[in-house]
Amino acid sequence: MAKSRSTPFHVPNKKIRPAGWQVFLVGFFLFYMLVPIISTYVFSVATRWDRTILPEGYTLEFYQRAFDASYFPITLRNSLILSLATVLVSLLVIVPTVYWVHTRLAGAKPLLDILMILPFGIPTVVLALALVQVYNFPPLARSPFLLIGAVVIYSMPFMYRPVANAIQAIDAHVMTEAGQSLGANVFQVLSKIIIPNILPGILSGSLLVFATVFAEYTLTSLIVGARFKTFPLLLVEFTRINGNVASAFSVISFTIAWLVSILILWVGSKGQVAKTKAIRTG
Amino acid sequence: MKSSLQRKTGHTVDWLGFAPFLLFCLAFEIVPIIFLLRGSFIEKTTHQFTIQHYLDLQRPLYINSFINSIKLSGLTAIIGVIIGTFIGYAIYRWPSERVREALITLSDVTTNFAGAPLAFAFVVILGMNGVITQFLLQYFNYDLYPKFSIYSFSGLILAYVYFQLPLMVLLILPAFAGIKKEWQESAQSLGADTLQFWWRIGIPVLMPSLIAGLTLLFANAFGAYATAYTLVQAKLSLVTLQIGYMIAGEVRQDQAVGMAMAIGSLFIMGLSIGIYQAATLRTRRWSKS
Amino acid sequence: MSYLELKNINKSYAGVAAVHDFNLDIEKGSLVSFLGPSGCGKTTTLRMIAGFEQLDSGTIRLDGSDIVPVPPNRRDIGMVFQAYALFPNLTVRENIAFGLQMKKTPKKETEKRVNEVLDMVRLQDTAKRFPHQLSGGQQQRIALARALAVQPRVLLLDEPLSALDAEVRVVLRGEIRRIQSELAITTVYVTHDQEEALSISDKVVVMNKGLIEQIGTPEEIYRAPMSRFVATFIGTANQFLGKTSGKNKVLCNNVELLTGDLNGFEEGQAVVVLVRPENVQVQADKPQQKDWNVVLGGIETITFHGAVTRLGVNVNGQRVVADITVANTQPVSLNQKIWLMFPPDACQVMAAEE
Repeated sequence: MAKSRSTPFHVPNKKIRPAGWQVFLVGFFLFYMLVPIISTYVFSVATRWDRTILPEGYTLEFYQRAFDASYFPITLRNSLILSLATVLVSLLVIVPTVYWVHTRLAGAKPLLDILMILPFGIPTVVLALALVQVYNFPPLARSPFLLIGAVVIYSMPFMYRPVANAIQAIDAHVMTEAGQSLGANVFQVLSKIIIPNILPGILSGSLLVFATVFAEYTLTSLIVGARFKTFPLLLVEFTRINGNVASAFSVISFTIAWLVSILILWVGSKGQVAKTKAIRTG
Repeated sequence: MKSSLQRKTGHTVDWLGFAPFLLFCLAFEIVPIIFLLRGSFIEKTTHQFTIQHYLDLQRPLYINSFINSIKLSGLTAIIGVIIGTFIGYAIYRWPSERVREALITLSDVTTNFAGAPLAFAFVVILGMNGVITQFLLQYFNYDLYPKFSIYSFSGLILAYVYFQLPLMVLLILPAFAGIKKEWQESAQSLGADTLQFWWRIGIPVLMPSLIAGLTLLFANAFGAYATAYTLVQAKLSLVTLQIGYMIAGEVRQDQAVGMAMAIGSLFIMGLSIGIYQAATLRTRRWSKS
Repeated sequence: MSYLELKNINKSYAGVAAVHDFNLDIEKGSLVSFLGPSGCGKTTTLRMIAGFEQLDSGTIRLDGSDIVPVPPNRRDIGMVFQAYALFPNLTVRENIAFGLQMKKTPKKETEKRVNEVLDMVRLQDTAKRFPHQLSGGQQQRIALARALAVQPRVLLLDEPLSALDAEVRVVLRGEIRRIQSELAITTVYVTHDQEEALSISDKVVVMNKGLIEQIGTPEEIYRAPMSRFVATFIGTANQFLGKTSGKNKVLCNNVELLTGDLNGFEEGQAVVVLVRPENVQVQADKPQQKDWNVVLGGIETITFHGAVTRLGVNVNGQRVVADITVANTQPVSLNQKIWLMFPPDACQVMAAEE
């Protein structure tokens, strides 16, 4: 098979400065992306900001009110439960399946790929409608368990991609054969060989799912609503009551998203280091 | 490349291992949607087959919601693709790799920001007392309101473009990387100047990615709910909002029409994703040569 | 004045000289190879001829006129890349027609010319296909056809065969040479593969670290290398370190080697004697030749290379490599004591620099 060694279209030189049009476009991009976010942060600590360019004063009272809100601890708890439960179910359902398909059921790969694209093609409202219509009987009707099922489906692709990439990268079925030749059964191979080596992928996937579910509004509000109030629901409520407190909630929401992204990056880089180490010594 | 492992597998027993996942998908995704499809064709009282619910969609309320959704998704997709491509090119040609990586990370994060916090952030900057509104008033004596309102179609466009732009940037960057330097040099050695290269080679090669971008951004906007719910609610009728109302029982509408709407939107989404997949396959073809 | 003249070319990147003091005259219709290891500056020089790199100083004249200020799309130069670089969105026919269309050639003529070059590279039935449907070797031939379609004044090839399988490489390099000499087109060919360069070139320019080591025909380069680098880069060579002793002898490790006239060297100068393995003959009984170099050693390694068997012989701690062919009827085995002999004119003597 012939290998082609071509270069990408433009390999930038470190010494060159960016052109004017580049600075303009990237500047515009940064402005668009950051101004709403930064404004929200500032708004959450502003006493009054409806007459001037910069806030008239600063205060932490809105954060105080946010923490004092009656439902705040409950919604945080609910969001945490939902996110963690989704991560758990996701891991249990997806990781073994990906491993299984990769090592024993290559014929199912196309089906798996389609199933993983499917959630992108189903708007959340449609999924909510379908589930609410079908599961209109107790105990599932409008229950958190139904919600977990829905959210796992919704977040599947986010768990799938990092895990599938990781399993591909370590060439799981060769590892399995090696493990089996040394006497291990399937469970031992999975737990002692495969999972430890795809840990960065599992972590990335879990973090992504966690962040996605923590911020999820549509499915939660339409399937369970006030019965299982999560943090995003509280936030939307406050947008209609008190804008300042809502912005405090927004800040919390954004900050959690940032932190999780940084964590994902950190996990990703550690995974790279581990990979290069493995390649050098292997 | 068939390994010995592959020859011994793929048997019926092995499909058992796939069963839990398949059952999960069936239970929470596939079967409910099939029921949805079925329900959209059933008359509630007589349980007879009917297409009346789809015909009911012609009513102004429903037709308008489809028109609005398609307009909104189409507009933000086009804006996102055009501006996103140029921004992507500016980032691609940026000399410092660190800056490029940082901008990619930023895009990764902001494209997932869609939802209530984002909608609210736009109220903070472009609401009646918003930061930018104030700024324009004080420094340029220009009053955005009442001609413009963030709680409107145009406000929604601004909010949607926020998460459409980075999505396009992330999509187009690998496409630029796929344009090989040798092609431009080849073209030059054959007598072409920069414009001729882009017109005959560069843009055609980029085209599948642009189409992929259009369809992906369209689907992304069409299915969005939370942002619209927070910003416009009853003021603007969108497909996702309408379906949401029917679930919440906030309006006394025939459930079956909602199902027809849902199926209709699935059809539109399916079409978009289908074109997207076809376009993506074409881009992979380029990289083989 | 030659057709393509490169004078005093210099180019550096970040203070490091990539090409230094490059001077070369290329005759019209000849095939000249730039040969050397990675980073020796051969590709950089080629790209300067094409116009994709800027010179720091020097001139390049093509057919009498200075082409340095001319942009690459006006130099009338055909280029073939290592990575084929066929345009993926165009068919084979459209790819080849591209240059002609840039020149605004009328349709009929374009079609005729495209068919001509397709015949030349013997790929007539691929005209309607797309690049990704062709093999690497086919793609490269189309790339060649595309470059030749516009009848350029000079043809430049940048390691065109490096990305291909070994078999395809041998066949294709013959094709390239055949077409080049049929068309009598002035050609510069960059490669790191010395076999390639030696087999197809009229002249070879051996480069190392940005400098020209030697310019000559393939035979000259092989038989009379002018530096240690050239001698070791081209083919294999035994290297015996020693000091000159008298008019025609070199003392290496207590062994006196008869080398022929040592005119350019001082008495006692440190030198290297180079002897190619195919010139070292092998015998079980002590050779009777007078005026030949004769040494005794033990066979340490025997490597079978097909037509040739390479022996590694230990002569007083010095490893000597000798190639014997199938025609050689001597049986050889490991640890066997064997006589090696080679005549004085098989010895190439060079100053030992380091």
